[in-house]
Amino acid sequence: MSVDDRALGELIEESQDLQSDAMRRACSTIPDLEDVREESRREEVDPDEVARFNESRRGLLKDLGLGAGGFARRGALAGGLGAALAALIVSPASAAKKKKLDVQILQTASSLEILAIATYDAALGLPFIKDGNEVVVTFAETTMMQHDEHRKAFQAQTKALDGKKQKQPNPKYAPVVEEAKPGLQTPLDVVNLAATIEQVATETYLADLSMFSNKKSKSIMASVMGVESQHLATLRAVRALLEGGGADLIAIPTDVAALPAAAGSVAFPDPFQGTSMASPPEEGAVK
Amino acid sequence: MSDETIDTADHDMSAPELTVTALTRRGFLAATGAAGAAVAAATALGGATPAGASATRPVKGGGGNKDLETAAFAASLEVLAVGTYTAALDAATAGSLGPVPPAGAEFVTTAMSQHQAQLDSWNEVLTTNGQAEVTEPDPALKATVDEAFGQVTDFVGAAELALMLEQIAAATYLQAIPRLKAPDAIELAGSIYIIDMQHAAILNFVLGEYPVPETFASTDDAAQPS
Repeated sequence: MSVDDRALGELIEESQDLQSDAMRRACSTIPDLEDVREESRREEVDPDEVARFNESRRGLLKDLGLGAGGFARRGALAGGLGAALAALIVSPASAAKKKKLDVQILQTASSLEILAIATYDAALGLPFIKDGNEVVVTFAETTMMQHDEHRKAFQAQTKALDGKKQKQPNPKYAPVVEEAKPGLQTPLDVVNLAATIEQVATETYLADLSMFSNKKSKSIMASVMGVESQHLATLRAVRALLEGGGADLIAIPTDVAALPAAAGSVAFPDPFQGTSMASPPEEGAVK
Repeated sequence: MSDETIDTADHDMSAPELTVTALTRRGFLAATGAAGAAVAAATALGGATPAGASATRPVKGGGGNKDLETAAFAASLEVLAVGTYTAALDAATAGSLGPVPPAGAEFVTTAMSQHQAQLDSWNEVLTTNGQAEVTEPDPALKATVDEAFGQVTDFVGAAELALMLEQIAAATYLQAIPRLKAPDAIELAGSIYIIDMQHAAILNFVLGEYPVPETFASTDDAAQPS
């Protein structure tokens, strides 16, 4: 084991300090939302927001195979075609629908966070994890804690928008995780499962960003999305080291000179993140 | 839940929390003289157009001038990233950085290529909307990076500079996302922001630091046009 315990301890302490700072920032936004919620009830619907909602719905339809493809949608910036198309294929959005969509997005996000927490918790109970590589254990513990903070943030936002907190794991993926548990026989099995969950969360939040009406909720989801994407990158790197017989290099600090070349690229296989694994907003909504 | 209530809470209520104190990391901001405002906010207030970009004109589809101004500044950051990674690769090839580990060389090559693809995408957005391509970095940021790069003598120094650039880019995108209007611009910015965060995670690991140091990504390092 090439772990520098003292250095790792300092890093964890530093990370916890950073987390505390970040939480203070995140928590400071919640009261703002509560205030704005009351003000919002008295305001008129902004036509631009309705147009944006329709644009987002059009994008969602595209992702479902009902629209134009890929980044070609950037062309919608260029003219009225996008707006016209949106008007043709989606019905006008009401304020109530917009708000319901925002809440659904937050509820589904909460369900994914709950699933992630449960998965890492289960992993930490496996003997080959809890008695294995200390950096892997630290990563699982820290990541589980970070997901729990994300859950709290999403649930608070849900409440701020008059929604009901989602307290259950994602209904689509929870059975998948349960079915996978008996097959978790090696660290690589666990890493693969965790990576899948992180990818689903990352892609879901990316797809959600353009569907939000509420700016504060969008800010927090974007912030969380970046962290999930780092979890995914780390897991991809760990997976590559495990697959390549480099388990000893899963260390902090690591032996950089001994890392295989692939360690410099495997964590980000494409220059753009896709959304093919994104969960739709209603998937984890409270029924 | 009261679904019948009207929610138009899309006002810029996040501005106080998201206001940048940016580029303060490791003295970067002090060197550039930049301070305070978000990319979108800066451009909305008539901030300088990045070098290489022309004045914007109205667009349809929900985006508008502010989105295009943000796109132009994002492109200028990508130009800076591509240029810096190119310089690092040249220095490594010339032996100026001493021994470069295989993973380090692979990272530089990959990151440079990905930032080029991201630059190309922003320029596609700009030209599709009648704007000029951005081919130059923000001059103040470039000057500061050039100065910092001049002090790099080894791979670790180059990795630290790359980490700083990736953190600045990620924070800038994070700050811009809530303020962009067009769904396609939001999607593109979010997609690139993710990759920059992942670059930062691996650089942290390579530098012996924990790869996911924050529970919530922040905008503290966000840049603004000079």
